[in-house]
Amino acid sequence: MRPKGTYTLRFGILMVALCGCLLLNISLGSVSISFTDTLKAIFGAEIQNKSLTYIIWNYRIPKAFTAIMSGAGLALSGLLMQTLFRNPLAGPFVLGISSGASLGAAILIMGLSLFSGILSASMVTDVSLALASSMGSFLVLFLVIGVATKIKDTMALLIIGLMFGSITAAVVSVLSYFTNAEKLQQYVYWTFGSLGDLSWNQLGILGIAILVGIGISIFSIKPLNGYLLGEHYAQSLGIHLKKSRFLIIIATGILAGSITAFAGPIAFIGLAVPHLTRQIFNTTDHKILVPAVLMYGSITLLLCDIVAQLPGQAEVLPINAITSLIGAPVVIWLLMRKRKMIF
Amino acid sequence: MNIKTKLRLKFSKSFFYIVLFLCFFGCKTNKKESFPVSHSKTGKIEYAKGFTIEKSGPDITLVKITSPWPNAKSAYTYALVPKDKLPAVTLDRNAYDAIIGTPVESVVVTSTTHIPALEGLGILDKLVGFPETKYISSKAARNRIEEGQIKELGSNETLNTEMVIALQPELVVGFSINAQNKAYNTLERSRIPVVYNGDWTEETPLGKAEWIKFFAPFFNKEKEAENLFSEIVLNYNNAKEIAAQAPTSPTVISGAMYKDVWYLPGGKSWAAQFIKDANAHYMWAETQESGSLSLSWESVLQKGKNAEYWIAPSQFTSYKGLGNASEHYKQFDAFKNRNIFTYASKKGESGGLLYYELAPQRPDWVLQDLIHIFHPNLLLDYDPHFFKPLE
Repeated sequence: MRPKGTYTLRFGILMVALCGCLLLNISLGSVSISFTDTLKAIFGAEIQNKSLTYIIWNYRIPKAFTAIMSGAGLALSGLLMQTLFRNPLAGPFVLGISSGASLGAAILIMGLSLFSGILSASMVTDVSLALASSMGSFLVLFLVIGVATKIKDTMALLIIGLMFGSITAAVVSVLSYFTNAEKLQQYVYWTFGSLGDLSWNQLGILGIAILVGIGISIFSIKPLNGYLLGEHYAQSLGIHLKKSRFLIIIATGILAGSITAFAGPIAFIGLAVPHLTRQIFNTTDHKILVPAVLMYGSITLLLCDIVAQLPGQAEVLPINAITSLIGAPVVIWLLMRKRKMIF
Repeated sequence: MNIKTKLRLKFSKSFFYIVLFLCFFGCKTNKKESFPVSHSKTGKIEYAKGFTIEKSGPDITLVKITSPWPNAKSAYTYALVPKDKLPAVTLDRNAYDAIIGTPVESVVVTSTTHIPALEGLGILDKLVGFPETKYISSKAARNRIEEGQIKELGSNETLNTEMVIALQPELVVGFSINAQNKAYNTLERSRIPVVYNGDWTEETPLGKAEWIKFFAPFFNKEKEAENLFSEIVLNYNNAKEIAAQAPTSPTVISGAMYKDVWYLPGGKSWAAQFIKDANAHYMWAETQESGSLSLSWESVLQKGKNAEYWIAPSQFTSYKGLGNASEHYKQFDAFKNRNIFTYASKKGESGGLLYYELAPQRPDWVLQDLIHIFHPNLLLDYDPHFFKPLE
C-alpha cells in the first residue's frame, strides 16, 4: 500500500490529463478549427463561421462526452468481470453481452427484410438500433443471470456466457448469409463502433445508465476486493456471494449493454484498461482501481478518437480499429517492462 | 448516382465464386476447315474499355473481355460460332475460355444491369433464370417472372449451382469481383459456358452503356445493338451540348451519411461524370477516386453547406426521413431550400430500384434528368425517368 498522498497526486494528474484530452478532442477534427475559435465556441462567444459553432456543439462535444462515458463504462465493466472471474482475459463482453447486442442489431438491420421482403431501411434509425441492441444484450444477460442463480461455480458461468455468445454469433452469421449487400455493410459498419452522432437526449440516457453502473460498482467495492482472495475467503469475510455476484453482473450488463447500444461494440478498452491501471498504480485495491479505470478509460478512448478522426483529413477511421491498434502495443510494452503482471 | 451502391450489390453477389474455365460447348472435332488467325475488327467499340469484338475468319467471332473485374491480370476470350457451322469448324480448345454456338436460345444473367440490354435487343424471351428476381424492375421481365418463364435461381444473390445445372441454359452471363469463383467453376465442369460481363468496371457513362454490344454477337443482334447504342450516344451528346449553353453552372453535393461518415461519389466516378456533363460543378470533382469517397461529415458540411443542389441522398425519399435520420442534414442550404433530388422513389413492383437496373444502359436519360434539375429553363416539358424531388 502506498501512502495516500501519492494517489491524490496521481488522481490530480489524471484529472488534468482528462481535461486536456477533452479540449484536444473537441478542437481537432477533419475541419480545422483554431484553438481560440474552439474556446470561443464552447463559451458561447460569436465566431464568424456559424457552421463551426454548429460542428462543435452538435457533433464534437457530444462525441467527446460519448467517448468519456463509453471509455469509463467499458473499462469499469472490464475490471468487474476480471475480478469476478479472477481471469485476466475476461472483459465486458465475456457474458455474451456484446453478442446479444450484435444479435439485436443484426435482427433489426438484416432480419426484418428477410420477412418483409422489401427495403426496411427506414426502420433502422439510431434510436431503433439502440433499442434493438439493448434488448439483445439484456436478453442474453437475463439468461446468464438465470443461470447464475442456479450455479455456484463462477467458472461454469464464464463458460456458459461464452456458449451464449457462440449461439448468438451463429444466428448472426445465418442472417448475414441471407441478407443483401447494403444491409450487410450497414451491419458490419455497426460492428466497427462509432462515437459520433449521438443526440443530447441519447447522451442523457447513456449518462444515466453509466451513473447507475458506477453506483453499483462503488457499492460492490468490498466484495470485489474479497473476490480477489477467492470465493471461500470472501464468504468468510461475511460477503453474500450470490447477491454481490448478481449485482456485479447487473452493473456490467447496464454498462456494456448501454454503451454497445449507442456506440456499437467497442473492442479492447474493457480488456486492456484495467491491466494498464493495475500496472501503473501498482495496486489491486478496488477503492483505487474503480476511480482510476474510469479516468484511464475516458482518456484512452478520447485519445483513440482523436487519432481516428485523422485531424485535418477529410477521411476518418473506424474507432474499433484504432482502440486495438494503439492500445495493444502499449499493453504489451507495459507487461514486458514490468516482467510480471499485477493481478 | 451512387455507383458504390451498385458495386456493393455486385460485390455481395460474388462472395462464393471462383474462376475457372474450360468449357466446351458442342465442339466436335470432325475437322473440315480451319482458319488462319487473321483478325478483323467488327463494329468498333468506341467508349467501353473492357471488351473487344473481332472476326476471325468468316464464321468465328471472338469476344475478348479485358476487364472482367478491376485490375484483372488476364483477359478472357470467347469464340462464338454459328450452331450450323459448329460441326465444320475446328478450334483449339485451349486457346479459348469458352466456345459458344450462336444464336444462344436460353441464357441466365446475374445482374439487373443485364436486363435492359436483353430487353433492348428484343431477346428477353431467351432469359430463363436469374438469382434474386425480386430486384428486377422491368415490367416485361416481371411479367415473365410471374408466368414462371424466368426461374428464381437462388437467394442472397448468389447463383444456386444445382438449379442452374438443372435448367441447362446455353449460356450464363456472370460477373465476379476477382478471379475466385466456385459456383462458375462447377457450371463450367458441367459444360455450361460462363462468360464474364465487366460493365460495372467501366468508368464513363457511354462506356457502361456500350456493353449492350457485348450481348449482341451471342444472339446475332449486332445491328440492333449498333442502332440502339448510336441513338444513346446521339441523345447523350445532344443533351451535353444543350447543357453547355446554360449561363450558370450550379454547385452540387451527393450521397448521405451512415453514422457520422458521409459516402459520396469520387471525382473520377461514373456519377461525377454525369454532373460534369450536365454543366454543374460537383464539389468533389477534383478528387481522383473512381469509386466512392467516405468522408467525415464535418468536412462535407464545411465544403458543401452552400451547395445549390444535392442529388442522390442514398435511400432517402423524403425531407422528413432525412431530417429524422440526422439533424445535421438540416444544416445544408440544399435541405433548407428544398433542392434535393433522389432516384430512390422510382421502384419496381417488388422493391428493386429502377435506377440501378436501367441507368447504366440509359446514360442519356440520366443526363437529361440532371439537366432538367440543374437548368430548369433548358428542357421544358421534360418528364424525368429516374430523379424526383424529395417529398
